[in-house]
Amino acid sequence: MSKRNTTRLLVPLVAILLGFALGALVLIVTGRNPGAMFLAMFQGATGVNLKAGSFNPRYIGEFIIQSMPIMLSGLSVAFAFRTGLFNIGAEGQLIAGSVAATAVALWVEAPPVIHVLLVLLAAAVVGGLWGAIPGFLKARFNIHEVVITIMMNYLALFLNNWMVLYVFGSKDRIKTALFPATALLKDDALSALTNGSRLNWGFVPVLLSVLLFWFVIEKTTFGYSLRAVGFNKDGARYAGMRVERNMVLSMAIAGGFAGLAGAVLTTGTFNYGRFLPGAEGYGMDGIAVALVGGNGAFGVFFSALLFGMLKAAQPLMQSQGVPKEIASIIQASIVLFIAMSLGIETLISKLRKQKIEALGEEAGV
Amino acid sequence: MKTRLTPRRTVQGMRPAFWVMAAILVLIFAGCAARGQEQAGARAGETQEAAARSGPPKIGLVFDVGGRGDGAFNDSAYAGLVEAARELGGRIVGEPGAPDYGSRFEARCLSSKLEGRDRAQLLSVLAEDGCRLVYAVGFLFADSVARVAREHPNTHFVLIDGSIPDLSSASNVTAVSFAEHEGSFLAGALAGYAASGNPRAKVGFIGGMDTPLIRRFQSGFAAGAAYAALAFREPGRILVQYVGKDGSAFADPKTAKAIAELMYSTGAEVVYHAAGGSGAGLFEAAREAGKLAIGVDSDQALAYFAKAGDPHARETGSRIVSSMLKRVDRAVFLTAKEFVERGAVEGGYRVYSLADGGVALARNEHNERSLAPYVARLDELSAKIVRGEIKVPETPEAAAAFIAGLK
Amino acid sequence: MNIFYSMVPIAFAYSAPLVIAALGGLFSERSGIVNIALEGIMMVGGFTAASVTVVLEPLTPAAGYWGLLAGLCAGVVFSALHAFTSINLKANQVISGTALNILAGGLTVYLAQIFFHQQRTAAFTRGLVKVTVPGLASIPLVGPLFFVNASPPFYIAIALVLVAWFVVFKTPFGLRLRACGEHPQAAASMGIDVLAMRYIGVLVSGAFAGLAGSALVLTQDIQYTAGSIHGSGFIAMACLIFGKWNPFGVLGAGIFFGLAQALSLYAKDIPFLVGIPSEFFYLLPYALTIIALLVFAGKSVGPKAAGEIYDAGKR
Repeated sequence: MSKRNTTRLLVPLVAILLGFALGALVLIVTGRNPGAMFLAMFQGATGVNLKAGSFNPRYIGEFIIQSMPIMLSGLSVAFAFRTGLFNIGAEGQLIAGSVAATAVALWVEAPPVIHVLLVLLAAAVVGGLWGAIPGFLKARFNIHEVVITIMMNYLALFLNNWMVLYVFGSKDRIKTALFPATALLKDDALSALTNGSRLNWGFVPVLLSVLLFWFVIEKTTFGYSLRAVGFNKDGARYAGMRVERNMVLSMAIAGGFAGLAGAVLTTGTFNYGRFLPGAEGYGMDGIAVALVGGNGAFGVFFSALLFGMLKAAQPLMQSQGVPKEIASIIQASIVLFIAMSLGIETLISKLRKQKIEALGEEAGV
Repeated sequence: MKTRLTPRRTVQGMRPAFWVMAAILVLIFAGCAARGQEQAGARAGETQEAAARSGPPKIGLVFDVGGRGDGAFNDSAYAGLVEAARELGGRIVGEPGAPDYGSRFEARCLSSKLEGRDRAQLLSVLAEDGCRLVYAVGFLFADSVARVAREHPNTHFVLIDGSIPDLSSASNVTAVSFAEHEGSFLAGALAGYAASGNPRAKVGFIGGMDTPLIRRFQSGFAAGAAYAALAFREPGRILVQYVGKDGSAFADPKTAKAIAELMYSTGAEVVYHAAGGSGAGLFEAAREAGKLAIGVDSDQALAYFAKAGDPHARETGSRIVSSMLKRVDRAVFLTAKEFVERGAVEGGYRVYSLADGGVALARNEHNERSLAPYVARLDELSAKIVRGEIKVPETPEAAAAFIAGLK
Repeated sequence: MNIFYSMVPIAFAYSAPLVIAALGGLFSERSGIVNIALEGIMMVGGFTAASVTVVLEPLTPAAGYWGLLAGLCAGVVFSALHAFTSINLKANQVISGTALNILAGGLTVYLAQIFFHQQRTAAFTRGLVKVTVPGLASIPLVGPLFFVNASPPFYIAIALVLVAWFVVFKTPFGLRLRACGEHPQAAASMGIDVLAMRYIGVLVSGAFAGLAGSALVLTQDIQYTAGSIHGSGFIAMACLIFGKWNPFGVLGAGIFFGLAQALSLYAKDIPFLVGIPSEFFYLLPYALTIIALLVFAGKSVGPKAAGEIYDAGKR
């Protein structure tokens, strides 16, 4: 068991290292300074500018802000993975959640704390419904969830834009009216604490979601039956589990996490619904986060911080003459290396299996 | 998909492979990092103290969506910065080969992401980086500038082409705007004169994002065309279409080209655009249709003529009969000069108009001949606007009233 | 009628890259490898094509066609990464494809900054010029639709549809390719080299998607930007599904989706479409694909083993 845990840590760590090494290599080959990138990343995460010897807590706030939505979309992707489903639709579920958040924030009047809770609840429910649709289509008609979720991402995007322009209404065609203060996760005190960053109370639902994920997956029979479906659909069915129901529920919960991310963005980072010119990549980030985090609650927590740091460092990289796209290159490389390492592992385990026929180990979790 | 996402893992078998891989990578990684640190260290050593205390004053600039290379607005702002560097002896840093004329100031440029949600971030980074003057190029920056300026009272912000309420000369924000409607009036008049040979001709306007600002271009243009020629006072003779509904509409030549093709094929002789980087699509369409186009912001024909030896570029350039200059470069240059020479920029509002050359129709060696028949009339109109005899409308409603009043 | 004649060629021009990329996806999926990296490959192709065209334009009038070729080659190279990870390393094909999509978005803009010092390539001056076919253009009714101001990639797309149909359904090679996508174990037992066939499938998809990206940028854009491709690769996937993994179906779906895109521009000039928000036209391809999937459900129209990792040991 402990050995398996070592590998579980080792695979992503090697992939991360490889990713950063490749990123640095790309910078060197193209004549840019990789040191500047690492300094920018350090400053993005800690607020400490090693070069100037200064400290600015605003960067820590922005770092947390950048990590929050991708932590949730990471949980979303990871939760579906555990049931053997590939949720490439976290982006769309997030957008559906932010539309719901916008609707409740603008149209419902409620006392301070309750309003925020309603916003979060609505976002999670609508995101969950948006996720349940592909889950249902997969369970009932065996339609591939990858294709459906991709299509539904774009559907969500254009529906959001239509809602913002024609239903919520937008004077400047960029954003809706501002939300009332009661609906906001934003808090000037938190912002002031971090020297004017966009830090907000969104981290509370985010952290609760991490714990909820861990509890449901690791500690409940429901979580066990979900994992069982992920290992072996037919076996799980044979053992009397309701495979179809589990698929729908799993996608609904996955959608719920992503929907929550929509609410955290719209009422935390911003305070209005937004017109979206294109996909913002939170869903793709979620896939990277889930893979690097090994689809576990705490793995997702740390890998979201890693990618959040990369994002937070982008503006700093730019000001140091490092093109910010290096962050996407590093992120993609890490994902690719993880995909490769999974393949390498399978290859090795295959070779071993041929030698030792019986190896009744549990499929890797 | 039956692919297993979490395959069986066996530790013993893969250990050597992984350790070797890891070891090699750590070495590469460490090597890079060390080299990087060294470089950074060396650079930091020579500039850090100086930069922080007695080094050249720093100027920052954040481009709007699209960034450099749009052949219009962003490029014009950059040109202003380059001119300032040349004139005042400063330098632009951040990429190899950037202009370097001395050390009276040091400027760096950032560009916002496609969706533009990092605008405030970039402004803050520049301010915290020690920039005493920060330009925000484009009206979409207005909210971000307002907020960041509050948090950084020691940095002066220049918002190009946008407005923020309640500024005074003591504010640390200068909002620069242009009388685009006046310049567009001349563009409209030019289009009207040029198209009036054909009694059934139409003229077209392509806007980027549908906003009040871009509607000022539209309004001025319509009023100008109607003022110049009787035919355009009839409904349906001035075609108007917008590229999109968000910032990316200024970086979408694809759609602009399709719109322009439609306009030309339905009878437009001259099409004017206020769509930033999307305008290049219009010029393509103009060349293909063999019709005329009017550019915006900078003298857009010059970029095409600059590509010596390319006959198609020349052909495209010759289709751009003129451009409505919005001298963003002038605004950037003048404020940078003020900053370098006086150490500060006065806050508040500035409007650059026809009267002070902030807006104008572009004239160059290439369009001299084609403009010749209209120059006298255009100059007269310009003078009338400067004297206040023509009051150019700023909204489509006012333009409609203006046109109705002409009859 | 005027509008119709100017809109249809535009719809054809829009549909060409979709059809070409979808045909690429067809080869890959028929061989058993899901390729959701079409979008990323199109980006790489488009970027390469734009860069090459910019460089060659002052030298040769055929620069645009060299650009197409370069984009095609870049697509092959980039897709080899997908082939290697998903065939040799047996990685999950969707993960590998996702990684390629993220990588392409970053890499192209990164390289643009290195080569052109801006977040986009320099603008080329003509790209691929529209053509009017002499003689055929004067055919009444049909001429103006197909042969006046036509986008060259549309003809390429039609040709590739015919080639793809012939190769996939009328040659022994096609039979083997399909066998690998339907039942790789059975194919292997008949002596077909499944891995090689799958490699060919993925590399062909890379070539087609690279070509498609180039065609899109060189005809519809004036340079490559981060937003040039903007989901076209995913619409191509939709075309593939909507066209039931059949080249002629793909062509029909592509033209239909191209028309939907063109309509979003022209709606305000067509009386009965006035007032419909453009968002409706944008989301049409995606919504229709979901409906199509529902209609096809259970009828097994796609390759059975697509996405499944081929494992020589499993019988």
